[in-house]
Amino acid sequence: MNLIPWRTKQSDGGQTLETGLSRLRGEMDDLFERFLRYPVDLAMPAAFRALGPRLDLAESDNEVIVKVELPGIDPKDVEINVVGNVLTLRGEKKQDRQERGRDFHFVERQYGSFHRSVPLPTTVDSDKVSAEYKGGVLTITLPKHPGAKPKRIPVRTQ
Amino acid sequence: MTTATAVEKREGKVRPEPTRGGRIYSPNVDILENREELLLLADVPGARPEDINIQYENGELTIHARVDSRTEVGEAQFLACEYGVGDFHRSFQLGESIDNSKIHAKVKDGVLTVHLPKTEAVKPRKIAVKTA
Repeated sequence: MNLIPWRTKQSDGGQTLETGLSRLRGEMDDLFERFLRYPVDLAMPAAFRALGPRLDLAESDNEVIVKVELPGIDPKDVEINVVGNVLTLRGEKKQDRQERGRDFHFVERQYGSFHRSVPLPTTVDSDKVSAEYKGGVLTITLPKHPGAKPKRIPVRTQ
Repeated sequence: MTTATAVEKREGKVRPEPTRGGRIYSPNVDILENREELLLLADVPGARPEDINIQYENGELTIHARVDSRTEVGEAQFLACEYGVGDFHRSFQLGESIDNSKIHAKVKDGVLTVHLPKTEAVKPRKIAVKTA
């Protein structure tokens, strides 16, 4: 079965039924996989997960690390803000020049702007936040505020 | 004007045998066409260029990108893991119209671009009309 290409970009209407169903199945499998491996993921409010790019959030004694999958974005088009305990990501993925004026067989990759706010588990030192973009993955390192670091209190005996 | 075809290879018996643990993900792709070539764009975030394997055989294009599974960062604890990390794999049946000696690919910012030039035989040709 051949696909008939179309010129105007629409939602995923170009896939065959089989492809669409197998992708849905794949996504359901992923969902179960994530639930079994990282149950904390689904403990978050649904609305919080549904919007914007998907991310990883990890916390160590000294810092909070956020990783976001953002393939094919210009780092200049990403805006990262930390206000209080909330990290906000905002940006836009623009369509490449070489992609214009062609017929489409498959269109699955997403374009356009995104916006996402993430509540952080602790207070971070917003002056020392750093971000790195490599291989389509954005890594944001947020050092914890000195007051928020765990302090070990020794118990003395007399 | 389209002269090439791109059809997803059906999953089934040709499913690759995983040689190591972890899940295999199907990357999102765009396949575009102009007069000269088919252009395939695939999102493969986290894959290094040396770990991407592209094969073209009997009209079938296979993309496989090796991605190391999520590693624990020192003593860090994950509070959210929303995306899956693992290898990317996908195959397409492209028909006979691709000149396999001229296929070239590059990866930048997690996006794999594969140029698949058409053979001369299927390129649309404009024929000049002369007056007698």
